[in-house]
Amino acid sequence: MKANRCRNPIIVVDDLYVNFYTYAGVVKAIDGVSFCIERGETYCLVGETGCGKSVTSRALTRLILPPGKIERGRILYYPEPGKVVDIMKLSEEELRMIRGDEITYIFQDPGTALDPLYTIGYQISETMLVHGYINKIRKGVSRAIQLLKETLIPDPEQRIKSYPHELSGGMKQRAVIATSLANRPRLIIADEPTTALDATVQAQIMELLRNLKKKRGLTILLITHNMGLVAEMCDRVGVMYAGQLVEEAPTEELFRNPLHPYTRALLRAVPNPLRRIEKLESIPGTVPNLIYPPAGCRFHPRCAHVMDTCKRQKPELTRIGNKHYVSCWLYSRR
Amino acid sequence: MVDLRRFLIRRLITFIPTLIGATLLVYFVAAVVPGNPAKLWAGGEKASAEVVQRIIEEYKLDEPWYVQYYYFMKMLLTGKAISPVTHTNVWAEVLDRFKTVTLPLTMLSFMFIILIGIPLGIISAIKKDTVVDMILRIFALTGISMPIFWLAYLLIAALTGKGLVTLAGFPMPAYSITGIPLIDGLLKGDFEYLSQLLKRLWLPSLLLSYAGIGVLVRLVRNSFLDAYSSDFVEFMLARGFPRRRIYIHVLRNALAPIVTVLGLQFGGLLAGAVITETIFGLPGMGSYMIRAINNFDYLSLMAGVLYVAIIFMVVNLVVDILYAIIDPRVRY
Repeated sequence: MKANRCRNPIIVVDDLYVNFYTYAGVVKAIDGVSFCIERGETYCLVGETGCGKSVTSRALTRLILPPGKIERGRILYYPEPGKVVDIMKLSEEELRMIRGDEITYIFQDPGTALDPLYTIGYQISETMLVHGYINKIRKGVSRAIQLLKETLIPDPEQRIKSYPHELSGGMKQRAVIATSLANRPRLIIADEPTTALDATVQAQIMELLRNLKKKRGLTILLITHNMGLVAEMCDRVGVMYAGQLVEEAPTEELFRNPLHPYTRALLRAVPNPLRRIEKLESIPGTVPNLIYPPAGCRFHPRCAHVMDTCKRQKPELTRIGNKHYVSCWLYSRR
Repeated sequence: MVDLRRFLIRRLITFIPTLIGATLLVYFVAAVVPGNPAKLWAGGEKASAEVVQRIIEEYKLDEPWYVQYYYFMKMLLTGKAISPVTHTNVWAEVLDRFKTVTLPLTMLSFMFIILIGIPLGIISAIKKDTVVDMILRIFALTGISMPIFWLAYLLIAALTGKGLVTLAGFPMPAYSITGIPLIDGLLKGDFEYLSQLLKRLWLPSLLLSYAGIGVLVRLVRNSFLDAYSSDFVEFMLARGFPRRRIYIHVLRNALAPIVTVLGLQFGGLLAGAVITETIFGLPGMGSYMIRAINNFDYLSLMAGVLYVAIIFMVVNLVVDILYAIIDPRVRY
């Protein structure tokens, strides 16, 4: 299996394909993505809007709603070292029992992630109820208070009685994080958890996630397009472009030595935390339409180093250095 | 609670101008219609001038409109309004028709609307774009667009011979507790009487509810789907919620427009069902209003309009209170 680049993985994704069947045509949203997440690390997926980061993260528990469909690929989940669950072979009910219990999600916009008609406490308790940890909503109250305490919400005894609209955006996101901690999470998938929040709250939420991870021994998959967050939070980074994983490296290595032309362009387009840039550049061209994706390497129409092979054949993800992988014909020794 | 009381008082005060407006409007429309009501009330062309004169004086028909209106309202509000046509107290008749026919008919129809309309709407939404959904949508559209008298005569023809439906008379129980036969029968546990009553009322109620069911199926389907596309549904799926639990959340989020329409339908049913009452020979509020209009019976008409106006105001008030129960974001 080519994807297993990890020594002690919690999740391994191998050759994943996801399509969306829209009226306009079939959107080939994920095109042969393979990666793995090491137990206890923070893995980042970065890329522009629409590059398939979110879809990939949702596919981990097959949370792809129609018209989307996982075409093929393998997803292996290792709840404990040596124990393996084949996500693709699970029934709906077995998947349901994993979602929100062992693998939990934090969504982008806390303003819409919670049901506006129920209290925070009710919704946290309900998350425990549907996984059978409690048998009545009322029995979840004390644990809900404790979870709100853990996510540093002031006055948790009162806050569990609050409705979502009575809380600020940051508080709502803390409540969402509390639901993701309610059961016995091993992997938390944070899908742009701070995009909808302002900068100070953003820093607080990331600090909270970092501390929770340390305290609870969690693994985090962080999805973001914020390079600053990547540098601050992540152990390893996967760079996605148009549904493909184009480069993967430990964070420092990626910032110091980006290889893929897209990664390089991306880093020139944002302030780099490691070196001084005179001018922020933009990447020429636009993101391709994934109904008719470019043949071969999907980046080739925008690439400054395009060669003939790029237009015909899709480059494989190849190991270049220690834990550094890139899928680009410039680096393939063939 | 203080908020609720202030809200109720405020709303009750707005009732007064609404009632005055509604009755005034009806009074003007009725008074403007050409014709000589005094002569009509006295018995038509052959009425003696003496009787006509007495009626004119009794009902102050020669006074200016505001005196007349004031006098009519005074009679109505003091409960002493005697109809010049039927020579009975108008309120006694409204109450009688309300209790024996309109309320039972409304309760049964409303029950059908809720018990059939809501589940079918939900099924239609969950099975969106399948054969089941298509059949339900055709069923709903049929209910909205089919003339009730056509379907009614069809069903009457099909069912009367089988002893499932009775059309003549109106069964009354031998006892009276609340004066509402349906409720009295239930309270007494008098199943023989109840089965008689249901035989008389189930078909008109069902037909009366069909249009309402159609409206509700479409409304429930659309607002359910609308609520289902909210982000919180995806977050529930991500938290491993079973489908049934998600549907409950979605339904509650979809409820506000449903409650609004149900309220209007309930009010509409209580206001009387002219066509259904005529087809099935039921003496309800609908036929009462028609008779009042045909006889130039302003007083009965104004009583009927007052009744309908009060019904709608109360129903809307209840709906507004329900909003706040459904949605914590709503404040009075």
